[in-house]
Amino acid sequence: MSIGEKLQSLPKWILFLCLIVTASVLQFFNIPLPNKPQDPAIDYYAFAMSIPPGSTVLVSSDWTNSTHGESGPQFDALMRILMRRNIKFAVYTTADGQAPQVAKDEIRRLNEQRVKDGERPYRPFEDYVMVGYFPSAEGENLAMSINLRSAFAGKKDFPEGAKEPVDIWQSPVLKDIKDISDVKALFLISASNTDQIIIERLAAKVPLVYAVTGISAPQNFNYYSSGQLKGLVGGLKGIYDLEYLMTSGVNHPGADGKIAVASTRVPGDVPPLPGRNQGLGTAYFPTLHAALALMILAIIIGNVGMFMARKAQGASK
Amino acid sequence: MKYELWKTGSSVLATFGLYSVLYRENKFYRFFEHIFLGLAAGWTLVVIWVEIEKDQWWGKMLGANNDAGTSMVQSGYWLYAFLVPIGVMGYFVFSKKHNWISKIPIGIVLGLYAGQQFQAWLQRYGPQISTSLKPILPTTFTSITVPDNPVPGEVYFTQALTNAISLFTLLSVVAYFLFSFNENNKLLNRLSTSGRWLLMIGFGAIFGTTVTMRFTLLIDRMHFVWIDFVRDMLLRR
Repeated sequence: MSIGEKLQSLPKWILFLCLIVTASVLQFFNIPLPNKPQDPAIDYYAFAMSIPPGSTVLVSSDWTNSTHGESGPQFDALMRILMRRNIKFAVYTTADGQAPQVAKDEIRRLNEQRVKDGERPYRPFEDYVMVGYFPSAEGENLAMSINLRSAFAGKKDFPEGAKEPVDIWQSPVLKDIKDISDVKALFLISASNTDQIIIERLAAKVPLVYAVTGISAPQNFNYYSSGQLKGLVGGLKGIYDLEYLMTSGVNHPGADGKIAVASTRVPGDVPPLPGRNQGLGTAYFPTLHAALALMILAIIIGNVGMFMARKAQGASK
Repeated sequence: MKYELWKTGSSVLATFGLYSVLYRENKFYRFFEHIFLGLAAGWTLVVIWVEIEKDQWWGKMLGANNDAGTSMVQSGYWLYAFLVPIGVMGYFVFSKKHNWISKIPIGIVLGLYAGQQFQAWLQRYGPQISTSLKPILPTTFTSITVPDNPVPGEVYFTQALTNAISLFTLLSVVAYFLFSFNENNKLLNRLSTSGRWLLMIGFGAIFGTTVTMRFTLLIDRMHFVWIDFVRDMLLRR
């Protein structure tokens, strides 16, 4: 077997092993990367920061652990913004029966972190409610646009320490909401096709702000460009941008007087969010670069091998 | 702490079990795959009953709870009982003799869905059609690129160029899908070929982001194994 043929026939498990080692080792190092946040993420952050404290937003949490790498940090960042700004939220899902539990676990973990950092825990039923799962995304989102109270009718959640669930409409989060237009925004964290369904059913009624996986990001840039979305965070780059913006703000002078992120899209100064902002997005981004570099290297090796093998075949003829 | 350790340890084992398929198909992988599928199916069944059927249908039918979700004594919406036979009719799709019965609920669902689609289509694509009409000629040459403080309403050269590329992409991709036109039209043919190339570039971008998403999932799992479990749980005990 020639060198070219050998290079082309590297066992798959060796490549996977290299990938796993790369994805593991770099986790132990904090590698800062230069960044220029994209406009959709800047708009996402500026819009979230413009919502008045005390108001209510909807969070459509349509993801589970199968996309935890991207959706998890997106959900965490959104929760951090909402919790620190004292914005109440109602979490629902139309994508997967497991999604409410995944969201509950994330909120519990973030609350533990908040307590450790000296912040007040976000209280269930008082500060947020879990509306739960609805099996038909088309039907439910249409029902929400027609009559939100009827669409969420019969749903209950547990107040802190309560043994019996209470109707969610008695919660301070939703008691003043009569219609979906009373809600300041709908934040979506999606790993399914609910991004399109929500645009079809709710875009005319409530401002939409999306965080989607890398796969869905290209098609959602169309909705962002046409103004159907107020902001968009796509994939790991999007969440890295958002965590960066949470730390630096937009048009905001730092301690040295320099503005880290300047944008003409956003009028005025959008301050950074005090407290812990860098999460899994910042932790994963350098490792993703190394993994992609490994993939590019594997493609180069395979192609070099192919050309060498062809050359050797040509010479032997 | 001991419970947390066992719980997280089991998750780590399951992670390695499922990734072991990368080496080759094996019983370790199959075991965890079946556990995962069983748990997911069981969980979904329970969630559908607890979150939907119990309060939204069963409770209302029997008068155990009303629309506001509070307990009450009333006669109940007995008409909800007719949802059962309509749902059961769907299962006749498995009968060769009576499968026509399944077409009734399917027809109802299709009718409801089709009716919604007019509004859904307009809401989804309407704004995109109107915002596709962008200026392709610059209105100012004071700066080639958009300056830090742009004059409102002015179109700078790079903006106009971006808009022109966007419009060309739109027209050429539409041309690619115009199958009913004369194939001998040279202009349309070239536009159509450009459309095919641009579509390929678009699909390439989507494929690229798909790969990065899979990598991110692996990175996330490795973070869970090495940071959450090994470093934070085992080494810091």
